[in-house]
Amino acid sequence: MSEVPDNLSYTKDHEWMLIDDDGRVRVGITDYAQDALSDVVFMELPEIGSKFSEGDVMAVAESVKAASDIYAPVSGEIVEVNDKLEESPELINESPYEFGWMVVMISDNTLKNTLDSESYRKLID
Amino acid sequence: MSLRRTPLSKQHIELGAKMVDFAGWEMPIQYSSIITEHNAVRKAAGIFDVSHMGQIFVRGPDAVKFLSYITTWNMERQKDGDCRYCHILNENGHIIDDTILYTINANEYLLVPNASKISEIRDWLLNNSNDFDVIIEDLSDTYFCLALQGPEAPRLLGQHLNTSVNSFQLKTFNEVIVSGTGYTGELGCEIIGPLDQIEFHWEALVDMGAIPIGLGARDTLRLEKGYLLSGQDFKGMETTLETNYAWVIDWDHEFIGREALISQKQTKYPKLSGILLEDRGVLRPGCSVYYNNNKISELTSGSLSPTLRKGIGLSYIDLAIGSKITIVVRGKHLNGRVVRTPFL
Repeated sequence: MSEVPDNLSYTKDHEWMLIDDDGRVRVGITDYAQDALSDVVFMELPEIGSKFSEGDVMAVAESVKAASDIYAPVSGEIVEVNDKLEESPELINESPYEFGWMVVMISDNTLKNTLDSESYRKLID
Repeated sequence: MSLRRTPLSKQHIELGAKMVDFAGWEMPIQYSSIITEHNAVRKAAGIFDVSHMGQIFVRGPDAVKFLSYITTWNMERQKDGDCRYCHILNENGHIIDDTILYTINANEYLLVPNASKISEIRDWLLNNSNDFDVIIEDLSDTYFCLALQGPEAPRLLGQHLNTSVNSFQLKTFNEVIVSGTGYTGELGCEIIGPLDQIEFHWEALVDMGAIPIGLGARDTLRLEKGYLLSGQDFKGMETTLETNYAWVIDWDHEFIGREALISQKQTKYPKLSGILLEDRGVLRPGCSVYYNNNKISELTSGSLSPTLRKGIGLSYIDLAIGSKITIVVRGKHLNGRVVRTPFL
């Protein structure tokens, strides 16, 4: 059974978002997504300062068997990336909601197309 | 058409395996994770259900002559209990399949074709056997194969059957064949026998600590050793020389494809070579290979080596070991070089 914390927002593409006090959006992939991908062995992350529209491919997670696109859950600019994933991509599998975070974005638009934990649980059920 | 299942399907699913279609069979691709399973085989012992592979028995007074004619190996050189990896070629020298040839005893021989090639190999043997006094029997549907692989495998085999086997030697126990073979480059054995015995062997070895391994890790294990994958590294148009497996040929005997190989020997041709990625990334089959800004080939196999933690692959190219190349991964040129296989 996949873990779906209640304090996060989700997309139907299996990303999670955590909005901090400054309105910045921290992004990662869900426990369900990391389990489906299995061993992440390489992460291609965006550069700080790059801008994406909601739904753009902003990163790629590669497992032994396949490469999977990670989509920008909101429109905005990348202000932080998790450098630790370069050396230790397995953090995505081991700690998808904490040490396995991918990027932090600043977004102008509000989170309208997101799912709460209850709706996301239904989606993956 | 529904997928075929091995008698261990229930056990695989209970162990948490993700099942996939492989050559018409529903097979486990992984139980826990490919990396964990890969490392278990390199460091301890893993067990693979490879019952999808074929078992074709050849008997009769001309069996040695016939198998020598059909394969790149001269079976006259093989003694009772010997096993040997070799290729089965067509008249053009193109590989139909690779197999291990087992000399069970002076009257009985066994070939183990790949799952997707069983009927093709059986027909090929039958169609080429007119001049030979042999009986060809395809028992693929009634035989299992389990592979026990890794540094701890000999100890587990001793515990399980109170026996040991040397590399490329086999022993028989009632109806079961235990051979010092496998496709991981580690110590270990394969156990082949009638299907009704599979659960006994699987459950005993798993209980003794052998870790179930799926086809995902089987692929990374074989690729690190530069072993060929049927249907991927050769798929009907490649010769033994092109795959860089000349060592499986005994030139001093007549066999189908020999003339074509002798002519090819005089020419220059691309050979299957190891590609090591120097930049970070994962190689995939089909990635383009560039040399001096020109596309020269594509990868036939590609993955990440869990042991080296680097991208590795195979490609048919005509470049010296050490040559610098680039490989296109998702639109980007990454740096790599041509290396000797095995990768480790």
